[in-house]
Amino acid sequence: MPGKPLLMTFPVTATSHTLADYRARGGYATLAKALSSMQPGDITKEVSNAGLLGHGGAAFSAGRKWSVVNLNDGQPHYLCANADEGEPGTFKDRWILENAPHLLLESMLISSYALQVRNAFVYIRGEFDVPYQRLAAAIEEAYDAGYFGERILGSDFACDIVAYRGAGSYVCGEASGLLSSLEGKRGYPRNRPPRLTVQGLYKRPTVVNNVETLSNVAGIVANGAAWYKSFGTAKCPGTQLVSISGHICRPGVYEVEYGYPLAKFLYEDCGGMVDGRKVKALIPGGISTKVLTGAEVEGVTFDHQSLNAAGSSVGSGGMVAIGEGTCMVRLLQVMLRFYHHESCGQCTPCREGTGWMHRIIDRIVGGEGRVEDLDRLIDISRWNDGNTICGMGDAAGYATIGILAKFRDEFEYFIANKRSRFDGNLECRRSS
Amino acid sequence: MPQIFINGQPVQADRSQTVMEAARANGFFIPYFCWHPNLSVAGNCRICAIQIEDRSWVEIACNMPVSEGLRVLTDSPKVKEYRKSIMQLMTLNHPVDCGICDKSGECMLQDYHYRYNGEPSISRDAKVRSTKFHPLSERILLDNERCILCSRCVRFTREISKSNALGIVQRGDASLVRASEDHALDADPYSDNVIDICPVGALLSRSFLYKARVWYIKPTPSICPGCARGCSVQVWHRKPEWKLHTLDQVKNVRIERVTPLENPAVNGPWICNKGRDLARIFERPRAEQAMEKGRPVELSIAIATARRLIDEAKHPVAVVSNWGSNEELAALKRTLGARFTAFVKQDCAPEPGERIEDDILIKADKNPNTAGARALFAAADDGIALPAASDLVLVWGEGFDFARIPAKAKIIFLNSYLAPENGHADAFIPVSVQTERRGHYTNFQGTVSAFEPCFPKKASVADAEALFAALAVTEDAPA
Repeated sequence: MPGKPLLMTFPVTATSHTLADYRARGGYATLAKALSSMQPGDITKEVSNAGLLGHGGAAFSAGRKWSVVNLNDGQPHYLCANADEGEPGTFKDRWILENAPHLLLESMLISSYALQVRNAFVYIRGEFDVPYQRLAAAIEEAYDAGYFGERILGSDFACDIVAYRGAGSYVCGEASGLLSSLEGKRGYPRNRPPRLTVQGLYKRPTVVNNVETLSNVAGIVANGAAWYKSFGTAKCPGTQLVSISGHICRPGVYEVEYGYPLAKFLYEDCGGMVDGRKVKALIPGGISTKVLTGAEVEGVTFDHQSLNAAGSSVGSGGMVAIGEGTCMVRLLQVMLRFYHHESCGQCTPCREGTGWMHRIIDRIVGGEGRVEDLDRLIDISRWNDGNTICGMGDAAGYATIGILAKFRDEFEYFIANKRSRFDGNLECRRSS
Repeated sequence: MPQIFINGQPVQADRSQTVMEAARANGFFIPYFCWHPNLSVAGNCRICAIQIEDRSWVEIACNMPVSEGLRVLTDSPKVKEYRKSIMQLMTLNHPVDCGICDKSGECMLQDYHYRYNGEPSISRDAKVRSTKFHPLSERILLDNERCILCSRCVRFTREISKSNALGIVQRGDASLVRASEDHALDADPYSDNVIDICPVGALLSRSFLYKARVWYIKPTPSICPGCARGCSVQVWHRKPEWKLHTLDQVKNVRIERVTPLENPAVNGPWICNKGRDLARIFERPRAEQAMEKGRPVELSIAIATARRLIDEAKHPVAVVSNWGSNEELAALKRTLGARFTAFVKQDCAPEPGERIEDDILIKADKNPNTAGARALFAAADDGIALPAASDLVLVWGEGFDFARIPAKAKIIFLNSYLAPENGHADAFIPVSVQTERRGHYTNFQGTVSAFEPCFPKKASVADAEALFAALAVTEDAPA
């Protein structure tokens, strides 16, 4: 285990996701404590003090997000768990939804109490079948046990929850697009201002948090901010669930304590690369974060400060390990196809830009690349950067700029020779 | 009242305004495609980019609230560079078929491209192909290749006409504007406004399709006579300097199209589809020949006959048109009002299938000047019988049943269009239509609006205002 765990603290068994097992692990005791002995404001303060950051990709302080909601404004407030985990390479929330749905539900109840939310939502991606079934069953169990509904645990607090299944759009994982979709509209992200905590779902103050972010709330409220800060680094407390895939020996979901050495995680915890190859590149947190080369991985620790200094970010924790011998041109083609396919088409730079980039990279891979194409890709990425309604346009650009900055020679080789430098040397094929 | 600075100049803005609104209110131009003063902010075209001083990035003006001391740059190098890139992206998959596009000449995409980019596309990849001539409704065609997905039309049907008739399907650069259900846009009596607010040539009027290049036609301010709202409109017709002398001379006096004329007091920037179809009213076969009992006579003869009939009458009755202008009605009142018993008639009734009334623009009274007519002539025509003693009936305008005229009464009939009744009158005098004269209407709210002539009146047709004066000259008239 890479560092001390916060969430993966129990062995996964056939029944570990059920209410009985969760209660046996002390479940819902924190809710009782919060409802009986804490004021809503105390919980927000505790979460702020703990320095809990968003785990969905943007790493925005959860406490600061919550503090915007005015509890006495007389409006209904909403809480929505973002379980639309669509970032390629990311499948960490799935672990929580499958194995600890009650942890999410208890945390959401506590958060709902803190934000005075009457109706909470879980927006879960449509492709999540088992996670949805587990979550739906957990909600059923929780209602039966009286954790949802009126007068929860004898208090005056009332809360209902709805699990809503998305229909497979990447952009609906963006908080405002998610709320549009939840309202039954087209999943178009919205312009800010207003912020969602001012005008979100049905134009009411709404907090949208990632599943993992919310799941940390129960622990923070149970054990206090100081306890939470004992995990991770001083500037970056806590842990991150990392889903690692690619040319790695032991892919899967790991809970990594912030500050843990990245190379050690790759080579020891995950068993190193397939066939003992070297790391050619590492996508640290979903394909929207900039890639690191194998050399850059050395010396980096897994936390926001260290990864940002290395020119990347923690992102959504969707790590993709890329082994020596992989063609980065084709990798970028896969990524750009994805962004083109998933662009919602609302604002101009992303709608036109992602399609254009996809056509250019397709042409390069088809052997018809031109020298100016690479500069064109960078131009389009820059036009998108920070200039779109949501961050998806930026993300397509980051991925492109990140790969082109570090592997430009491969692209030039492909354009000049109309084939990949790695043709005939296909990635990770056993050579013996 | 926060003070903001636009390009260094101090400007008083309202707290509720966005930077876009504050800039426009103070005479600064910021380009826009998706933004529209009467629609919600979509913020998707990104051309309204501005820069805040000391920030390294651009932001969109349409969605930025003003705040005290905000320092906005609308034309910085960063903004220019960004707008140039947006125009490149806008035209990336746009067919640039201006040569055959009806919007050409009044197209924002064209204007902005020359203004903010002006260079050929740097893309050498094939453009994304899409649907051409998609029939969005009976009245509107959609060219999806030209569409820049600004969503103005979608927002119009949601926020203004409330028909929810349009939506966007698919995503990314495959997105398409489509009707929400079959015939959904057909059921929207305001649908043609989306053609006007389309910033490009994507939404095309089927009645205007390929009819005229906009630089050959000009708008004349007028009023829609379709209902008591009296919306201000622009009647577009061929410019006199581009008059055709040989072929197709009918084009010289043809209404090419009708668009709204923004008038906040009456109709805002919108009109309904009926107002678009004024040609159907004014270009019906015209009566251009004066007649006596169906026998063609000179106009002056018919007027003399009418004057004689008026002189001889003991109990003359006038049935007044509520399509007459305030000036014509006043002339009638002034000249013949004392002699005649007058009733105001309803020239037009709602047609089958027409929307009768709603809370947007359309009013149940399908005539333009009932208020003006009733202000001068209090009595309304009850539609049943005229006084039995009437020995002369002057009928002005359409919509009157001649069977109601007492058998022995003489008839003077003033009409603009060919009709069987024209031949029954003892004196039939053809009169001009709204597009041939100047005047005012008073709408149901009491708001008076003006209309201007588009075309010259033919010499064989009378102007009602002058006609009434001519008919009144009795005592001193030469025998």
